[in-house]
Amino acid sequence: MSEQLPAPDFDAQNYARPNQNWVCGHACEGQPCRHGPDSKGRCRATAECKPVLETKPGETKGRWRCTRPGEPCESGPMPDGSCCRPISKCSPVPTLRVWRRRATLAVIAASFAVLLVLLGNPSWRNNFISPGEISSAHSGEAFAALAATNRLNQNCGACHVAGNSGPNGMVKAALSAEPGFFEFNKFLDAHAAAPTAIDGSCEQCHVAHNFHQPNAAAVSCAFCHAEHQGKLMAAATDADCVFCHGDTVKMAAASTAGSVVPVIHHFAEDHPQFRFITEKWRDPDTLKFNHALHLMGATIPNLPGGAKLDCAFCHQLDAAGAFMKPVAFENNCRVCHSLQFDPETPQLQLPHGSAEFVTAFLRSLPKQYADLAAKKNQPDANTYVQQKLVALRTQFGSGDDLERRIFFSTETFGPDTQVGTLSGSTRALFPGCELCHEVKSSEAGSPAITKPIMPERWLAQAKFNHAKHANISCGQCHDAVHSKDTADILLPAKETCATCHSPRGGVVDTCATCHTYHNAAVAAR
Amino acid sequence: MKRFRRQFFLGMLALIAATMAALWLHKRFCALPDYAFLTGWILFAVMLVLTFFNARKKLPFLALGKAETWLQIHIYLGFFTVVLFLIHLNFRAPHGWFEITLAWLFALVSASGVVGLFFSRTLPRRLATRGGEAIFEKIPALRHALKTGAENLALGKEAKSPVIAEFYTRQLAPFFEGPKNFWLHTFESRRPVSALLAELDDLRRFTNEAERATLDKLAALVRQKDGLDYHRALQLTLKLWLFVHIPLTYGLLVFTVLHIVLVFGFSGGVQ
Repeated sequence: MSEQLPAPDFDAQNYARPNQNWVCGHACEGQPCRHGPDSKGRCRATAECKPVLETKPGETKGRWRCTRPGEPCESGPMPDGSCCRPISKCSPVPTLRVWRRRATLAVIAASFAVLLVLLGNPSWRNNFISPGEISSAHSGEAFAALAATNRLNQNCGACHVAGNSGPNGMVKAALSAEPGFFEFNKFLDAHAAAPTAIDGSCEQCHVAHNFHQPNAAAVSCAFCHAEHQGKLMAAATDADCVFCHGDTVKMAAASTAGSVVPVIHHFAEDHPQFRFITEKWRDPDTLKFNHALHLMGATIPNLPGGAKLDCAFCHQLDAAGAFMKPVAFENNCRVCHSLQFDPETPQLQLPHGSAEFVTAFLRSLPKQYADLAAKKNQPDANTYVQQKLVALRTQFGSGDDLERRIFFSTETFGPDTQVGTLSGSTRALFPGCELCHEVKSSEAGSPAITKPIMPERWLAQAKFNHAKHANISCGQCHDAVHSKDTADILLPAKETCATCHSPRGGVVDTCATCHTYHNAAVAAR
Repeated sequence: MKRFRRQFFLGMLALIAATMAALWLHKRFCALPDYAFLTGWILFAVMLVLTFFNARKKLPFLALGKAETWLQIHIYLGFFTVVLFLIHLNFRAPHGWFEITLAWLFALVSASGVVGLFFSRTLPRRLATRGGEAIFEKIPALRHALKTGAENLALGKEAKSPVIAEFYTRQLAPFFEGPKNFWLHTFESRRPVSALLAELDDLRRFTNEAERATLDKLAALVRQKDGLDYHRALQLTLKLWLFVHIPLTYGLLVFTVLHIVLVFGFSGGVQ
């Protein structure tokens, strides 16, 4: 293949210098002049030689001699001493090196120009230098109104002093920064999380760091809360939390008499057991409910349609999917726990929700039966009412007996007497209020039924989302099948959560997964 | 080759070790409040060292070590800079016009460096395989000499063939006029020269013995010109990537300096 190219030659007279900025315009013709262009790209060609005047002893005029390299030319110098063979001027050509330098300078100049234009124009500057979208909490109309109240700007200047400045102000601000440009020892200082000047801007609205517990006031807001990360302020990372919560000294300082703040590094490792277990919390609800019986009991009838009673029948997700809707008698209990007290009159049901209403209802039974007779178009209403009342008396005795039985009985099986088509050993339609409720007798008026207390959340500071846990069965976390006591709190222990929420379990286990870090009292406002 | 492999092995070993160390240090110290300042300064210092390689080439008289050593350092430090850059970003995407522009500049400079490394490792081998040598700066003169030679053969005083003269004017003159087929040479295609030589071959049917001898000489010149164009295309490619890498490097430095001013000017500690 080498024969395809002319052999390289080395001509000392025409030595190519790639480092030079300019090459002779005749070089492309293979005939560059000896002089070549000067450093500024100007052609230096004059003539093939510079004749020299030689004067012999005794001569006055002398003789011009050709100094052309190689052989002297035939014609020799002109009478005035100039060369007779002038070289035509060329237009020197810049080398690639020069073009590259020009491109570099152009890019530098363009960079400066673009930056000066964008930074010099206040309306463009903020958008250009902003390192990301501000969170919705610190932008928008609500923040604008708040900022106006506190006489703050709504742009970068709301938080940054340099935000109101042009390029000069930014440089001045940078020079006055703490830590300064080259204070490398401070960059390595782990205690540099202390509040800085910008916290002053935060405290215009969040007075004295009131979004966090008071003992955290010595930490800069920006240490945990990174702004410019989008509409939602970025959640504090575990490293942020552990910076204080993993520090024995800091936690000892934060502890008060009787309240030791634990040192925590990782949920699965040293996170303390949940308080409802360590402090042996009990459910204060007076409602009597036996989870084990309802889920496993042989006497529990199937639901209409034949399905077996399960957790999901009573515990249904709310609209957000995070928590369960409160259990309600109408939706979840009535299907099995009928309020029908007269076996042969299903149209009459006891009212639910108020003991007074029940008493009033029972004491107006003749009227209730009369109304029912009218609804059913009974030809002889009085006879119908009398028959019903007699049947009730036969089964329950007097009106007082009926009332006492309705409120205080817990018998789940009916009386032995034959009532209509039902024999005595059948399941009671309505055992009595006290089967589920705490009922207290009262000398005057109706008995008192203690209103059930059903806390919506046990761990109010923790976040939880049932919908995200839909792929595991309820029983894996809630040990309901072994709970016979209403007072049992059927939440899982920490170890149960850590089965999945740990490096070994592979599910996210960051602090912010469960915890909200804001001061609950302030956040609730 | 053995030396190159040793250099490559040592370079990769150093790069992997440095990367592992940097990632370990990142995990260890990323919770520091001013960690980004620290990684930023380290990144900037490394970028300056990389940029100084260009200056080093212009200062051959200073005893600053061999340019070859500097090149090796430049390559492996360049790859390590990408790791440092990701650490500085905390492995998150940048936000905002300025930071995205800065990140793109960094990406372009890094990518052009990788492309340049690829060129400098593959194109010289291709040139050697093709054969012949041509100093880039002398290629115009060589092309001019080939053009003059071909013109003399086809149109000179000795030439007496109207067929060859017509063919030269129509087909060969534009070919010898200047550099041709840059992209096709870059992608190793020899289609144009093959077509031209085939046409020259076709012409033999209409020529006598003397003219065929001229055609043979012209074919040799066509091959030489094609080889010259090939050398020019590949040598130019070896130089052109620097037109992206070096200017953007200085643009990146301008933006980086402003970035430093902004992060300090807008940091929490500004009074």
